Amino acid sequence: MRIGEGEGQKTKIILNVLVCAVALYGVSTKDFTQQRTSMFENLMIDFFAPIQKSVTYIQGSFTSVFDDYIANVNASKDNEKLKMRISDLGSQIFSFREMELENKRLKKLLDFGEELPYKKVLAQVVARDASSDFRVLRINKGLVDGLKLQATVVTGEGLVGFIYRLTDHFADVLTILDPNNRVDALVKRVRAHGIVEGDSDRQCLMKYVKRTDPIILNDRILTSGLGNLYPKGILIGKVSRIERESYGMTQDITILPSVNFGKLEEVIVLVAESNKKKDLEWDALDSNTEGKVK
Amino acid sequence: MKGQIKDLIIPLFITLLILVVLEIISTALLPAFGIQKYIIPFNILIVLYLGFKLETPYLAILILIVQYFHSFFSIEGWELGTIAGIFICIVISYLRDLIHFSSAAITITVTQVFQVVWFLIVSSLFYLKTGNMGILVEKMWRFIPESIAISLLAPFFFAIFDRIWGVNSEGMLGGDV
Repeated sequence: MRIGEGEGQKTKIILNVLVCAVALYGVSTKDFTQQRTSMFENLMIDFFAPIQKSVTYIQGSFTSVFDDYIANVNASKDNEKLKMRISDLGSQIFSFREMELENKRLKKLLDFGEELPYKKVLAQVVARDASSDFRVLRINKGLVDGLKLQATVVTGEGLVGFIYRLTDHFADVLTILDPNNRVDALVKRVRAHGIVEGDSDRQCLMKYVKRTDPIILNDRILTSGLGNLYPKGILIGKVSRIERESYGMTQDITILPSVNFGKLEEVIVLVAESNKKKDLEWDALDSNTEGKVK
Repeated sequence: MKGQIKDLIIPLFITLLILVVLEIISTALLPAFGIQKYIIPFNILIVLYLGFKLETPYLAILILIVQYFHSFFSIEGWELGTIAGIFICIVISYLRDLIHFSSAAITITVTQVFQVVWFLIVSSLFYLKTGNMGILVEKMWRFIPESIAISLLAPFFFAIFDRIWGVNSEGMLGGDV
């Protein structure tokens, strides 16, 4: 197909307007809580992500060869230190087990409510987002491994985020460092509620905490379980800065996440077992909302 | 003006392959070496090249395709970059007679200037969407080193893309030189 000069200008204007209109519509309807992928996107992401995984693996292998053989100078000293550390950790585990049993007993005693059964899926971080505006991790587990959209992602240290985009074999995790991720949280010591939002590569902000709540530095922040996204009681981080003015209703709290996102390699995805009654309720709510919009 | 679609398919395919390789490097290799705060946005480099050097009615579609492939590696999506890219191409079409890539220094400067325009457009749209000014301030601090990296890489990549798209150093694709 070949087109003339005048006709070309006309085509250019039409295409510019058309593509811009579609893009603007896309921006206005973009949802930062989840993104459903089309079949083509699913295929392409599943095609490219293994290459990202291989690149990460090759780099990791080089690093481990360097660390294990070339940089391994003080191995015997480290071995002694590690043995001592293991014995310390052993005693800690024993006390944690005791605490777990105590916790279970107390929960039962207080009739804390039914415990949601979660399936735990271990996943490896294979890549980061191609735009530094978003703090997103790509993991090597997807739909075929039983993952679901908006499933909670954690590590042993605490909360990482939730599944934002999902393909058959890979998933994108929107971390708590991303400003689009909002977590309903509470301060463990004083049970004060607030919303944790991503702020930068290192910290989060806790908003809407009442000025009168006596928050102090190093207070631990946990998920509150509200919002139906994150389970209750997962550690988010600790308070690193408090700004409390003499006026206003709230105080600004900065949180240092308990997870070291810079060195994150493996994560655990908590997948809630399907609750048919709950799903039906959500479907009914969704259809109701769509009906109102129409 | 070159108006044949078949002339665009093969260069576009090669460009997309290069984009994919660069995206894999910036999302998998560089973070593994500890470079996590700054991600080099190679999609911007390619879209700017298309805007600077190509004169085709299908430019909007080419930008859309490049951005769509970028969206496989980022939850940013294709929309914001597509709008910014098309707007910049319109601006460039008015300034075409003034822009000449006769030296590496000029290429670096022009690329830097249009990246600022890109930043302003994307930030405005982002602000309209989220209403959060704090994000934009933080975005700006990341934009400065990232955009400088892109500008410094521009002469090298533009030379490669010139060969792929069959553009000679003085003129545009299909332009009368």
